[in-house]
Amino acid sequence: MNRIINYLRDAIGGVLFYFGQTKLRTSLTLLGITVGVSSIIAIMTVLATFEKSYSGLVSEMKTNVFYITKDNPIQISFGSGDRNARNKPNITWSEYEQLKRSLTLTKHISATVAEEPSDRTISVGKNELKNRLTSFWGGDGDILSLNKYEIIGGRNISQQDIDNRTRVAMIGYDIKEELFPHSDPVGQTIKIDNLPFEIIGLLAPKGELLGQSMDAMIGIPISTFLQSFGGRHWRRADIMLLLESESMDTIDAATDEAVGVFRAIRKIPPGEENNFYIATNEQLMGTFEEFTGYLTIFIGLVAGISLLVAGIGIANIMLVSLTERIKEIGVRKALGARKIDIFLQFLIEAMLISIIGGIIGIILGLSFGNVIAFFLGQDPVIPFNWVFYSIQICASMGIIFGLYPAIKASNLNPIDSMRYE
Amino acid sequence: MPKSKKEIISMDSISKIYHLGNNVVKALDDVSISIYENDFISIMGPSGSGKSTLMNMIGCLDVPTKGVYKFNNELISEMNDSQLANIRNEKIGFVFQTFNLLPKLTSLKNVEVPLIYSSLGKTKRLQRSEEALSIVGLSDRMDHKPSELSGGQRQRVAIARALVNKPSIILADEPTGNLDSKSGIEILNFFDELHKAGNTLIIVTHEESIARRAKRRVELFDGKIVVDE
Repeated sequence: MNRIINYLRDAIGGVLFYFGQTKLRTSLTLLGITVGVSSIIAIMTVLATFEKSYSGLVSEMKTNVFYITKDNPIQISFGSGDRNARNKPNITWSEYEQLKRSLTLTKHISATVAEEPSDRTISVGKNELKNRLTSFWGGDGDILSLNKYEIIGGRNISQQDIDNRTRVAMIGYDIKEELFPHSDPVGQTIKIDNLPFEIIGLLAPKGELLGQSMDAMIGIPISTFLQSFGGRHWRRADIMLLLESESMDTIDAATDEAVGVFRAIRKIPPGEENNFYIATNEQLMGTFEEFTGYLTIFIGLVAGISLLVAGIGIANIMLVSLTERIKEIGVRKALGARKIDIFLQFLIEAMLISIIGGIIGIILGLSFGNVIAFFLGQDPVIPFNWVFYSIQICASMGIIFGLYPAIKASNLNPIDSMRYE
Repeated sequence: MPKSKKEIISMDSISKIYHLGNNVVKALDDVSISIYENDFISIMGPSGSGKSTLMNMIGCLDVPTKGVYKFNNELISEMNDSQLANIRNEKIGFVFQTFNLLPKLTSLKNVEVPLIYSSLGKTKRLQRSEEALSIVGLSDRMDHKPSELSGGQRQRVAIARALVNKPSIILADEPTGNLDSKSGIEILNFFDELHKAGNTLIIVTHEESIARRAKRRVELFDGKIVVDE
């Protein structure tokens, strides 16, 4: 045992020394492993930051909420997508109103439209909001509470606003800070694409989610939104429905009922597929997890290939190192090194090369991934499990690719090896 | 030969036969020899006479095709690779014509190599290596690499390395072959001292002057011992 401990310590010292002597060659081999490992770690870091934000999002979402939309809002299918998506009919305002009248198990149903952050012009007097993408929402008073916005000034959108299609707006905190830095925005007028809206409410700041500010938003009544921005055929424009069951326990019954009623509204014959999409928050989360799962497999493949190439590089450098050191091996054997000693010497070297490469890769990958995360507005994260896997992978790579050179070295004949020049 | 001395090596009818294609080469042909404690032997012979093979055999680097080889009464001819390595490590000190130092290691580290392969702790190893280097008079060159030493100094490092495990015999293969005559004489004088100190020495050489220093002379020809006096 003492011999083995001694031997390992000396082998490591010797290996580090040997590396010092062949910096360039060793660095080039390290590079392969470093690239492979750092790409895994960088991507896993970014993914981990998203997962962290995402679980934040998940904990914000109510579990008794479900959606009816034209299509799955998170599209992840590779290759064969949902080809029927374009042929599906829009969810319309009148369908919303019919649904609202018929549902019994649903506590509340809201219609909403959310535009991707757009660059509509927003101005107050001559003051224009520049360089800020603002999301536009059309909705009712409940949309804000469902999305956990808190009103800190003024009032919410009321049923009257919806019925009368009044031009009123709720504004996020970013908008207030930029356009009304020193005054109370409530009661003032804001122009959206030159249409005047009266500001009725101010929302508390919510911060960022997935790298986007959630406070650069303006919410107006859904009816006003459709009429003002929905174009000429706004009655046929696509909207999204948010439904809320009494509790988590009744969500299944509520979704079943909603499906049945909506099929009846659309007169879908029995046996035919739904031509709309319905999902609970939890199902939406599932889609996200499925997506990260695919991504992990893909990254694994890419990294696997790059590590395979790097591994062949290790085998190669070990064989080069072997031919350069045939004489040394012969001398060591003459001085009493057994096969196992030479075998371990080479194997430990191969493992060290790949582990050193791996550690550099981990450091680079963590830095790179967290820089990306920083620019996406995420908190820094260290995906410890992947750091651990990477070191494991590197050590086993060293063993696998160092095995052949190590066996070859250990089987050298001392007499012939010492004569080798 | 004073029979009171302890027998270290006993070789009985040793043959080493190589098959090169259809040719059968008898590198050693029925060789028998005994080597005793504190012997100082020169092995001579023209190239191809089998002296290198005999040397490798004595040094446990090679195993005989036929015959019985006992080292301190242990049966070498039936040992496996790992056991042979242990004998080489503990019982035999090699000195080579081309020194065979590891070029990237300092003198001290070079001398330490055999101790790495025996079960010795780090401090003991350093202490013994330093001792060995001081015996050959190189205490002031411990941190020099072989490339920073003269030929004579390199061979002295190699001798220190051979001595460090306190071996039963020291095997030197043309130890002065790569040295100028002055350093050569220095090394040979040192061998004389080692002999006087009680060590067992075997020197393979083709130089008459070196052979004359030895107390016993073995000559090989065509794989057979022709002179042993």
